[in-house]
Amino acid sequence: MKVLVTAAFVVLAGAVRSEVLLSDDEIQQTLSFGPWPISLQSDPSNRVSSDTRAIALGAALFNDPVLSADSAFSCARCHDPEQAFTTSDARAFGRVLVDRNTPSLRNLAGLRWYGWGGKSDSLWAASLHPIIEEQEMAHSKESLKAAISESIYIDDFEAIFGDIQIQDPELVLVNTAKTLSAYLETLATGRTQFDDFRDALENQDLAAAANYPEAAQRGLQLFIGRGNCVFCHNGPRFSNNEFHDAGVPYFLSETEVDDGRFGGLNFLLSNAYTLDGNWSDDAEKQGAWVVRSVRRSHSDFGTFRTPSLRGVAETAPYMHDGSLIDLDAVIRHYSEIDTERLHADGEAILSELSLSEQEIADLTAFLESLSKVP
Amino acid sequence: MIRWVVWFLVSSGAAVACETAGQRMSSEIQNAPKVHVALDEIRLSQPFSILLTVCDDVAVSEVRVDAIMPAHQHGLNYAPKITALGDRVFRADNMLFHMPGLWELRVDTNFGRRSISYTSDVVLK
Repeated sequence: MKVLVTAAFVVLAGAVRSEVLLSDDEIQQTLSFGPWPISLQSDPSNRVSSDTRAIALGAALFNDPVLSADSAFSCARCHDPEQAFTTSDARAFGRVLVDRNTPSLRNLAGLRWYGWGGKSDSLWAASLHPIIEEQEMAHSKESLKAAISESIYIDDFEAIFGDIQIQDPELVLVNTAKTLSAYLETLATGRTQFDDFRDALENQDLAAAANYPEAAQRGLQLFIGRGNCVFCHNGPRFSNNEFHDAGVPYFLSETEVDDGRFGGLNFLLSNAYTLDGNWSDDAEKQGAWVVRSVRRSHSDFGTFRTPSLRGVAETAPYMHDGSLIDLDAVIRHYSEIDTERLHADGEAILSELSLSEQEIADLTAFLESLSKVP
Repeated sequence: MIRWVVWFLVSSGAAVACETAGQRMSSEIQNAPKVHVALDEIRLSQPFSILLTVCDDVAVSEVRVDAIMPAHQHGLNYAPKITALGDRVFRADNMLFHMPGLWELRVDTNFGRRSISYTSDVVLK
């Protein structure tokens, strides 16, 4: 009997139609979060971008331990395709426990910066660094060339890039990274309940828009209103892809800190794998203005890249160090934020929101609507 | 007579340019040379360019462009690139507003040894 009553309640609740709660101005703001998916062009800095052979090879290499020096693990161990290309660990374990949470790899095509500290300005460079990073895959350029040469992928590699034996090891490294990048470009989150709502508003179909739960609508109103979330989480990806101090401690130990964007820029500006470098395949260097003109500031210290919120419900835990276990914890973090933890000379964006329990639940409902329906 | 004609051509050229040179920027200096700024639609977090026109017949030795969000206490993350196009017209590229809200566009212009600051508000939704 109890089951029947519960079932009847669920059916009734599902049948109740919501209303569109948003003002005209809020509707206009909501439209800016789409349409989704966005149309993307091939990466001009990667000559195998969109190449089906490179995509297939990149996918195979991503899932094969050949890219780690001792064949101990593949990229997919930390970026698990079954877990939205991340894992539920707070911080990733490569060869050692690294300092940061593993970011999801979806919706990466066409970004201006990659990584929590933005140490790469292209997806192929972001794919390259983990291969040779000692704490991660730990290959040298030479050992990677040997590993690819002796692997089952050599024919596919040479079909795309030619005879590997006449390629300098660094070229093999870059070519390998570009196949990974070609694959990663194809990973994207699908449409969501929010996208249906947003498109219904654009089409002025209020009846269809009213299918979007009122709790999620109230959460959206907070997101673009009093919560000020939209300052950083804006556009169709829900990210401005820039760097901010979110009030999360950046001390790794009593004597070590994660310098975030500050270190990311130092790394970027001292390595050859940028859009302004010789390894870019784009003769016009279209994206190079970013690395040429990016400003450095001491307030970059401890700032981290704004993550996209698409698919966010599938990628717990959160923040650069994975210190917040779920969306509820993230919202409470911003609601009760300790502004004393923020840079004294940094941007003045965050303040204590003091959200009610209802508002926290509404914001959670909104954020969950940015993921696919299970 | 020839000098007068040359002066007239330069002067009228600038006047014509300013008719379509966008909005006039503000300066706290009285009788400051007029500076106009023209900007196309600005998209959030996407690079854009602006066109600056000095509308008075004065020699311009340097133009610097920047922007801040007064409420947020931060500025641009990328340094604008300034190109002199001639006839006291300058283009600033690589501008990027990474947040919605009120931005204050700042232009510092050197007229010989005299430096004058101009501002203009831009609201980005």
